[in-house]
Amino acid sequence: MARPVDFSAQIYQPLPELDRADAIVQRIIRAVSLGLIRQGDQLPSELELADMFGVAVATLRDALAALRDLKVVETRRGRFGGTFVVGAPSPSLDLLRKRLTALSMAELRDIGDEHASIAAATVRLAADRADPADLDRLESLAGALRNADSPGARTRADSRFHIGLAVAAQSERLMTSEIRLQGEVGELLWAPLTREFDQHRAAEDHLSIVAALRRDDREQAQNIALEHIRANVYHLIDVKLTLTYAGHGRDKI
Amino acid sequence: MSIEASAQECAKNLSQWFNSFYQDLEFAAEKISESLTRRMSGRSKIMDGDLVDLPEVSRSFLEGHPTAVGAGAIFAVASVSRAEGVLEWWLRDESGTISKRTFDLVPDTDGFYDYEQQPWFTIAARTGHVTLVGPYVDYLGMGEYILTLTVPLYVSGQFLGVAGSDIRVRDLEGVFVPAIRALPNDAALLNDQDRVIVGNSGRFLVGDRVKGVPPGARKIGLDVPGLDLHLLYLTS
Repeated sequence: MARPVDFSAQIYQPLPELDRADAIVQRIIRAVSLGLIRQGDQLPSELELADMFGVAVATLRDALAALRDLKVVETRRGRFGGTFVVGAPSPSLDLLRKRLTALSMAELRDIGDEHASIAAATVRLAADRADPADLDRLESLAGALRNADSPGARTRADSRFHIGLAVAAQSERLMTSEIRLQGEVGELLWAPLTREFDQHRAAEDHLSIVAALRRDDREQAQNIALEHIRANVYHLIDVKLTLTYAGHGRDKI
Repeated sequence: MSIEASAQECAKNLSQWFNSFYQDLEFAAEKISESLTRRMSGRSKIMDGDLVDLPEVSRSFLEGHPTAVGAGAIFAVASVSRAEGVLEWWLRDESGTISKRTFDLVPDTDGFYDYEQQPWFTIAARTGHVTLVGPYVDYLGMGEYILTLTVPLYVSGQFLGVAGSDIRVRDLEGVFVPAIRALPNDAALLNDQDRVIVGNSGRFLVGDRVKGVPPGARKIGLDVPGLDLHLLYLTS
């Protein structure tokens, strides 16, 4: 039964004490695991970072200390010193298993629905707006997925391609949505939980999207993108069901 | 076991679950009717004081049905003395606490809830049968993805409203998936609009409508009177 709602309780409530250092840690980790910042990259200086994040230098230093403890960055002293990215933290399989089994099939379908709508709009705009250099960049991003040799590398390569499409579409908002969606499902998709996701098929899809964009065939590019996301959802549901109900046999309700 | 036999077995299990749920709703409706008959003592319209037994009936229904998230009774505007009608609904929150939900029943306000136009009310009123509505996005409420099940309520043979319950789709999955996964092939439970209520794989997704019978698939009816439910499954 539908119930009318009074939203005031949700709107007029005290704001949570934002743990800003923790928010910075999460944002950097997400950027590294999506491949937006790469291993070896140098982060801007502490003062610049504090300014960009809009936090006090002390808060920023807390965040960097936490990232050092997590072995995501290291700080080098001296003339060529600074803070460098040294590795992507890989979430434990156990954590990913918990995250996936906590999602219902309805929620996984709904994430797929949102992703499909974002991807369809993105790929159509990319067809209109991408220039030859954009297409070359996308093609090399697509190739990177084919050669990625670990779950983390596949997650980063896959995410980078989808985010690259939004960049080629010239839309900051679509890119932001794509980053959020990749953050939600990227690691789940590529984690070796039951059976591994088909890397070669995904890479072929990416290359076919670029080929369709080169032919100015926006319909075909969109269709491949939508089918690609359907395959993601199918895989996630399949893994979720196997993890949740494996060994239940012929359960009765 | 052959796929046909597995499908029959699965359809039987699902039917039993629904029949037992509706039986419990009918039982709650009877308790409400008895209480109302006693308290109204011949009056034609329900007054607020007549509803004193409703909290206990709703609470005990929710306590006995962990899958349900909401339960209560809803009365036709014509059968209550208050102009806006009466909507008596209890919800279970995340912590398991059960509390009453209040509604905006004043017409012309933004949140106005015209419940007499909702299918779980109109169908029960028109047909006198149990109803199953959903899955649907509860857009007037908390934006959750739910199903609503109702049975008609009568006092002295006169239709007064419905007793019913809401179930979240995500909670229903936990109950139905083991049963439907007993089928080795892709399969789904469909509502009367051929909409998927629950599937056993990524092939048939909840909320999708499966119009017609796909090639290689078969559809068998569930034995739940008044509801046009089907089990769809691939034969190979």
